[in-house]
Amino acid sequence: MSLLEIKNAHLKLDDKNILNGVSLSVNKGEVHAIMGPNGSGKSTLSYMLAGRDGYELEEGEILLDGISLSEMEADERARSGLFLAFQYPVELPGVGGMSFLREAVNSRRNFLGKKELDHLAFVKEARKEASKMFVKDEMLKRAVNVGFSGGEKKRFEILQMALLKPKVSILDETDSGLDVDALKIVSDGVNAQRNNENAIVVITHYQRLLDYIIPDFVHILSDGVIIKSGGPELALEVEKNGYSGLINAA
Amino acid sequence: MQHSIKDDYINSLKNYTNQFKDTNFRRIACNDFKSWPGPREETWRLSRLGSLSRKKIKPINPNFKKNNTNTSKLNGSTIIQFIDGAFREDLSSDMPSGVNLSILGDSESLEYLQKIKKSNLSNHPSTNASLSCTPSIMKLTVTKDTKVKDFFEIIYEGGENSQSVHPVLYIELKENSSLYLIERFNHLTSLAMPLQLTELRNKASLNSIKIFNDYKETHNLSANCAYLSEKSNLNSFSLIKGGIFTRSETHAYLNGCGAKLNLNGIYISGNKQHHDLTTAIYHDVSDCTSKQIVRGVLGGKSTGVFQGKVKVAKHAQRTDGQQMSRAILLSDSASANAKPELEIYADDVICAHGATVGELDDDQLFYLNSRGVPMNKAREILIKAFLEDIINQSVDKSLHNFVFKEAELALSSILTKEKSYNETL
Repeated sequence: MSLLEIKNAHLKLDDKNILNGVSLSVNKGEVHAIMGPNGSGKSTLSYMLAGRDGYELEEGEILLDGISLSEMEADERARSGLFLAFQYPVELPGVGGMSFLREAVNSRRNFLGKKELDHLAFVKEARKEASKMFVKDEMLKRAVNVGFSGGEKKRFEILQMALLKPKVSILDETDSGLDVDALKIVSDGVNAQRNNENAIVVITHYQRLLDYIIPDFVHILSDGVIIKSGGPELALEVEKNGYSGLINAA
Repeated sequence: MQHSIKDDYINSLKNYTNQFKDTNFRRIACNDFKSWPGPREETWRLSRLGSLSRKKIKPINPNFKKNNTNTSKLNGSTIIQFIDGAFREDLSSDMPSGVNLSILGDSESLEYLQKIKKSNLSNHPSTNASLSCTPSIMKLTVTKDTKVKDFFEIIYEGGENSQSVHPVLYIELKENSSLYLIERFNHLTSLAMPLQLTELRNKASLNSIKIFNDYKETHNLSANCAYLSEKSNLNSFSLIKGGIFTRSETHAYLNGCGAKLNLNGIYISGNKQHHDLTTAIYHDVSDCTSKQIVRGVLGGKSTGVFQGKVKVAKHAQRTDGQQMSRAILLSDSASANAKPELEIYADDVICAHGATVGELDDDQLFYLNSRGVPMNKAREILIKAFLEDIINQSVDKSLHNFVFKEAELALSSILTKEKSYNETL
């Protein structure tokens, strides 16, 4: 059984068709990349999966580990093991980083029937993971994403992924706004979490990120449908010929 | 208000003050009390006293035997207790050295009246009503160079249904002195009309916290006037959460160069509460700073008002005046009004103001939801952060918890109500 199954997803925004029948199966241990030009529906797909208000499916179905997500609110999906790393992580003035992480982790632990971590145990765990992502203690004391640089915001996203241990992670243009060094840190963080029990969907414009996070499958999204799927070589083809060649051929 | 009732109230003040000479401060104040402010008066347009008109109210005759105080005090603070608007020496602490608490005599009371009458509070109903019938004007003086270490707590309690209470206070901080003052309004009365005059001499520094937490049926019309001399510093924070109608009006006059003023506030309103923070800051001389942050959280059918005027006189060059107000509405039936006003006659000034009224930010809510935090918890986290931020900026670190808990109590009752409301949708 697939860990994430998207079946014939249709979605409209303001009466405009954005997703026109996306289907995708992601199995345990796999990394899938979804590439596509601007306006192809990549970010809509990620919001739809995460359950943002206003991004409900018109038609189709999504299953996470065999369970339908359609009736679940965003928070429930997250607790069930779906994680979205935001393209533009949101600033939360006044909400301390450490207490935010703890709230998130304990929400997930509650759902899994595990005991909530007490403050000390949590801080220890968070610091351990944070150091791997080069997230300094000082950053955890600050308000979430407030005054963070582009690289810091993305590192903080991946730190959340590491702490939440989701079944499926959607990384929405995680490479945007990152320099080469930051890209390497973030990618290393993601790669460290690849295992046989989870799956990762990387959404990106560019092949560049896929040099670091090597996917098992690459899909090209255009006008709200997947027009071509293949192995990592497909990303290289995009890099060489652009999207237009592929779209015209399809 | 209906004519007969306002006449009733004013007549009862007249009957009382008639025993005094024409020149007595009580008579003067009473003669100046022509009518209650109506909706046509610009500063009362958003806060109408109509609901008071349905009540028959008389000024209270303080009962000096009452001694049931229900307010839990802070550890180690010096207490000044008012019950029924009257100072109660028997329930108050001894004053530490360098601090005097006294009752003003008639001539000093007249001077007090004249000082208030020079301000724009001259026609405020609390000015005239409270000066007519206050048990006495209490003066708190901090002598020159005295830095008072312990917190001072002034606790206002008492009152009765259908009666009004009138605590009147005069605070003077002499040169280079300092005081940290926490005032707690816990009246159980129909109408509370506290009046306060504060004078800060050169280099004096006053930190002031006012927590309005009167009984749920109380109208509180607090009137405050502050004069700031050279290099003095007033750091004021108000938390309005109680009563059915609470309006805290403050007029601050910066008339010594280099004076600094922070005038921050929070209102947390639910049910049918009406909360109003009205301020006016007058930059009369150069090189003064005023900063103001006001935040409101409104649920139920409550209404909130922030009126903030900053007036910069022609000679008040290099004034720095900042004002920000933001209100968050948690229910469709709540409303908030913000009326910032800048009047600037000087040309070398930095003045800024901003006012927003809205709901919680969708992106922020979604971000928290996407991390597994349920909607109600996400709202609570964001609102607490919204308030905590300004509390941390405004009050002494050792009081963060105390003030935040006071805010949290009001907040949790609103959030519980909004939660059940949202769940029925």
